[in-house]
Amino acid sequence: MSERSARIAGPLLLVAVLAVAVVIRGDTGLRLSDPEPGASDALTAVLDALPDEPTVLIGFDPDVGTYAEIRPTVRTLVADLAARGSRLAFVSLTAEGRALALGELARLDRLGAGPAALRDLGFVPGAEAALVALARTVAGDRALGDGEDITDLEAVDLVLVIGGNDLGPRSWVEQVVPRIPAEVPIVAVSPSVLLPEVLPYVESGQLAALISTPREGAAYRESVDLGPLAGWGEAEGPAALAVLVGLLSAIGFLGTGVGSRVLGGLRSSRGRERA
Amino acid sequence: MNGLIADGDQMATLVAAIVTLVVLGGLLGERRAFSWTQHLFAGLATGYLALLAITEVVVPRLVVPLAADPAGRLDLWLGVGLVATAAAAPWVPRVVAAIPISVAIGSLAAFALGGAVVGTLLPQLAASLARPGPDLPATVGSAAGAAITGLVLIGFVHGAPRGRVLSGAASAGRWLMLAGIGGWLGYLLLSRLVLLIDRIAFLLGDWLGLVG
Repeated sequence: MSERSARIAGPLLLVAVLAVAVVIRGDTGLRLSDPEPGASDALTAVLDALPDEPTVLIGFDPDVGTYAEIRPTVRTLVADLAARGSRLAFVSLTAEGRALALGELARLDRLGAGPAALRDLGFVPGAEAALVALARTVAGDRALGDGEDITDLEAVDLVLVIGGNDLGPRSWVEQVVPRIPAEVPIVAVSPSVLLPEVLPYVESGQLAALISTPREGAAYRESVDLGPLAGWGEAEGPAALAVLVGLLSAIGFLGTGVGSRVLGGLRSSRGRERA
Repeated sequence: MNGLIADGDQMATLVAAIVTLVVLGGLLGERRAFSWTQHLFAGLATGYLALLAITEVVVPRLVVPLAADPAGRLDLWLGVGLVATAAAAPWVPRVVAAIPISVAIGSLAAFALGGAVVGTLLPQLAASLARPGPDLPATVGSAAGAAITGLVLIGFVHGAPRGRVLSGAASAGRWLMLAGIGGWLGYLLLSRLVLLIDRIAFLLGDWLGLVG
C-alpha cells in the first residue's frame, strides 16, 4: 500500500466504522446517560421551583462547531420549558448565535409555537456592554435600547444561557449575575469543551445548574416527559457506540504516535551506544 | 435529523449533503473542492454579517432613531462621528485616529475587566482557599485544589531568583498546567467527534433515509 493510499485509508475506515455504529445505534446495549444524574436533577429542581407561566430569557449563543453536541438537550429543554407554560424570549449577542437562533425559531414556528409562547429579541450588538444593558433590563432599570420593546421583560423568572461562543455562561456570570436580583437563577447548557471554564461557577453557586457533557444531556433528556410536545424535543443524542469507537480510535492514534516516538528515541540511543 | 431544514425541502438537504461530502473529502486529500467550499463559506458568512449589521443594528438602532429625532440624539451623532473618524484613519493625524480606537478598547476593557474581577477572580480566589468540607474527601479535594492553584501560580513566576524548592514547585506547576490543558483537549476532541457523528447521521438519515 502506497503512502497516499495509507493516508486515505485511515480516515475512510474511521468514517465507515462510525457510519456503521450510527446505523446500529439501538442494538448495542450501550447507554450514554449519566448513572448519577446530579446535573440533571439540579436543572429539574430549578425548573420545578419556577412560578406558573414563567418568563424565560434565553441567551442563545452556541457555536456552529459544537452545537451538534448540545442541540438535543437544548431542544428538549426548550420543549420542557414550553410544556411548563413558559414565555420564551430569545436574544443573541453573537452573529453565529443569531444564525442558529433563527434556525431554531423557524423550527419552533413550523412545529406550531405561537407568538404568545415565543419572542424574538434579535441580535444585540455590544458584547459585554450589551450584556450589561440586558442585565439592567432584567433588573427593571431601563429598556434594552432602540428598536426593542421588551419592557415586560422586567418579570424575568429564569435566565437560560446556551453557550459555546465567546459570550457564553462565563460572560453572563461576570456581567449579569452581579446586576440582577438574586432570586432570578441562571442555568446553562454548554458543550463539553467549556466544562473546565464553567464548572467552577456551579461550584460557587453563581450558576444554578449546568448541563455540559453528552452524558448529563442524555440523563436530562431521559428524565423529561414532554407529553404532547414530544415532537419539539430531540430525544436521541449521538450514538453511544459511535462515540466509544471514535474515542478509542483517537486514543489509539495518540498511542501510536507516542509509541513510535518512544521507539525512535530508544533506537537512536542504542545507535549512539554502539557508535 | 438536525431539523434546521424544513421537512420536504429536498433541494436544501441535497445541497447540505453535497457540501458535507466535499468537506469530508478534505479528510481524504481532496483539496480543490474543499478549498472551494471554504471560499463559499467565507462569502456566505460575509454576506450574512453585512445583512445582520444592516437589518439588526444600523437601521433599527441608528437610522430609525436619528430619523425620528435628529436633534435629540447627540449620543448617536457622537457615535457616527467616531465611526467616521475610524474610517478616515489613513488620512487624519494619528492622534485623532487614535480616539475612536481608544474609546472602543477602553470601554470594552472596562466592562470585561470589571466583570472578570467581580464575577470570576474574587469568587474563584475564595473557592481556591483550602477549607474543611462536610467529609474527608471534600476536605482533601479542597486542599488539593488550593495546592494545585498555588503550584500553577508559582509556575508563572519568571525572572526572579529561585532556589531548588521553588524551581521544583514551578516545574510541578507547569506539569499540572499541561495536564489541565490535556484534559481540556480531551473535551475538545469529544465535541468535535460528536460533530462528525452528527454529520454522518445527517447523511445517513436526512439524506439517504437509512436511519430514523
